[in-house]
Amino acid sequence: MTIPTQKVIIVPCSGIGKPYGSVSREAAYEITEDLRPGRTQLVPLALLVLGDEESRAVVAACPAVTIDGCKLACAAKMVQQSGGTIAQEFAVLDVYRNHKDLKPLGIAELNEGGQKLARVLAEEVTAVVDDLFNGKQGGENA
Amino acid sequence: MFDFLETTVDKFTFKVATDRFYNAEGVWAKEENGRVRIGLSDFVQQRSGDVAFAEIKPAGTALVVGEEFAVIETIKVNITYTSPVNGKIVDVNPAMKDAPEAINQDPYGAGWLAVMEVSDWEAQRAKLLDPQAYFKIMKGQAEEEAKKL
Repeated sequence: MTIPTQKVIIVPCSGIGKPYGSVSREAAYEITEDLRPGRTQLVPLALLVLGDEESRAVVAACPAVTIDGCKLACAAKMVQQSGGTIAQEFAVLDVYRNHKDLKPLGIAELNEGGQKLARVLAEEVTAVVDDLFNGKQGGENA
Repeated sequence: MFDFLETTVDKFTFKVATDRFYNAEGVWAKEENGRVRIGLSDFVQQRSGDVAFAEIKPAGTALVVGEEFAVIETIKVNITYTSPVNGKIVDVNPAMKDAPEAINQDPYGAGWLAVMEVSDWEAQRAKLLDPQAYFKIMKGQAEEEAKKL
């Protein structure tokens, strides 16, 4: 088991087939694969729900940014239940309210608006990640 | 404070405030000092999902029963709601602009949509559903929704 010591954990919504859940996952992929691959690691919410020991250990060891698709905030709740520290919670709906022209639609595949919204969200999360690395931000539970 | 009628369908609990009247869409109307405050029922807000935007017709708009007065965009759908009474909008909830989630958080209180001036409330009220009648309709709608899950 490898526990990263210098990473921010990104935990997106697991809502499959729901546009706002898809936006959260697309954003998480952009952050962890394109924007800040060296600084971040994606932990699937499903693994936390299942109690996967390695995922719980990773979340417990590093600050996490959660990205939820709805007010149920499953990602944030599961990180807390897993003993993690949430540096910041994001909700897709809050980002959409500031970008009304980017309405996410689509079940199997996000429309263009949803993809652009995911990009905007990814950039907002990336700014938080950078702040964490620059020591500008502490965890909510810290 | 006001009382509720309450039912649980599947894993969801729905409340109907007993101090106001309703149309079949689930828009409530409550008389207050000669004016009528309107909003959405708890069942409607739960069924529709998290509200992203709420566009309410502006103050000064004259409406008749059945005429569109609000479009609510949620994470699931866009829904148009119609006025339960004849009258003129005199006030719109300012929270609808920046914090429309008040509809989800407090549908019978802070999540009100508009206040209307009506001339014959008693006559109009007689055409609306009382809480018990709406509760029965709402419960049927909730059970139908549950079958789709």
